[in-house]
Amino acid sequence: MPIATVTQDEVIARTSGLPSFPRIVTEILASLDDPDCNLNDLSDCIVHDPVIAARVLSAANRAGNRTTGRAQTVSDVYTAASLIGLSHVRQISLLSSIGQFAQIAANECLPATYWTHSVAVGISAEELALHVTAPIQAEAALIAGLLHDVGQLWLFRFRAEAFAMARERACCRGVGLESAEQEQFDVDHARIGAWLAEHWNLPPGIVAGINEHHKAFPTTKFQLAPLVGIAEVLASALDLGGRSENKVTGISSDACKSLGLVFDKEIQPLFGRIEARSQHANRMFATGTSPTHAPR
Amino acid sequence: MRSRTQYIPLNEAEAGMTLAAPLNVIQNRQTRFSLPAGHVLTADNLRQMAANRAEFIFIVEPDSRCDEDIALDTALVARRVMEIFSHADLSDPTAMALFDQILAYRNA
Repeated sequence: MPIATVTQDEVIARTSGLPSFPRIVTEILASLDDPDCNLNDLSDCIVHDPVIAARVLSAANRAGNRTTGRAQTVSDVYTAASLIGLSHVRQISLLSSIGQFAQIAANECLPATYWTHSVAVGISAEELALHVTAPIQAEAALIAGLLHDVGQLWLFRFRAEAFAMARERACCRGVGLESAEQEQFDVDHARIGAWLAEHWNLPPGIVAGINEHHKAFPTTKFQLAPLVGIAEVLASALDLGGRSENKVTGISSDACKSLGLVFDKEIQPLFGRIEARSQHANRMFATGTSPTHAPR
Repeated sequence: MRSRTQYIPLNEAEAGMTLAAPLNVIQNRQTRFSLPAGHVLTADNLRQMAANRAEFIFIVEPDSRCDEDIALDTALVARRVMEIFSHADLSDPTAMALFDQILAYRNA
């Protein structure tokens, strides 16, 4: 019997207590299918966010220094964006904006390892999207990975005590957090995250990726669903995100097959890229965290 | 001499390092820049890689650890990987294949 049922109506109603979902995420998603999109469109968006603009300028100056061998000062976003490229600007914008969102949503008390784990799964999903034969947009995979545990963030913010109890019970009984949440709230963080993603008008593929990331056999037609689940398995297998509780409990053969993913020696460079990029991104996009809670 | 491989971000790369795998910078489905495995990087290469927006490279470097240290590191790695997979059903071929490749990657 659920102790404190969480409903979709409550989840949506309480979003008014969260910061606005970053507009730049939806701008980037819209631009992915727009063949006429160019750097200027994205730059127009970035100049209104000083944190993202500073990070883009910083990346451009580092790239400029490496290219020319001498100190450079790029001071406008348009030049910076043309120097480091559209794809890199999108990555910086997504990591930066979703990181800021998570930090503010958690009342400046973001649980330790929540963000490092989200970054690890996001990078893993993005690299997987580039690696597998299935046609999946890398940026959409990065967004789905960064947001896959956003339901936990909601529980942490609005049902902190009951969520801590669910976590404790999962830990004591050696069951998955999603099972303990289901008992406690009659819903798990994946479903809550999917409700939020729908509310923010994110594409159905990203909603499915968040909703089904714990399912061994995703039931949706969207390939982001098995991809995000496998991305989380790889992040745990590679022991990323600084989490002592990293565990692999299984991996769906059907999901791997549907993506054309095979674990043979050819997979090693993928592991290397995921690990190196995840560590790098976690250094570059660190947020202030609290050590009181560590999402699984 | 023994060697070990690792991925590093371009800003940590230095002239004199050796590529462990071919480097291919592909953008818009076109190869913009490539170098073969075994190539020893020069300062010019580093500038070219930066100009072509390479971000990470796979390098091979000498492994200066003694036999005892290698054995100890290998044992520690194996213990951690087994701990991570302790709840996995390794009779499942996919889980076993992942376990094998993670162990091989950690010992590379």
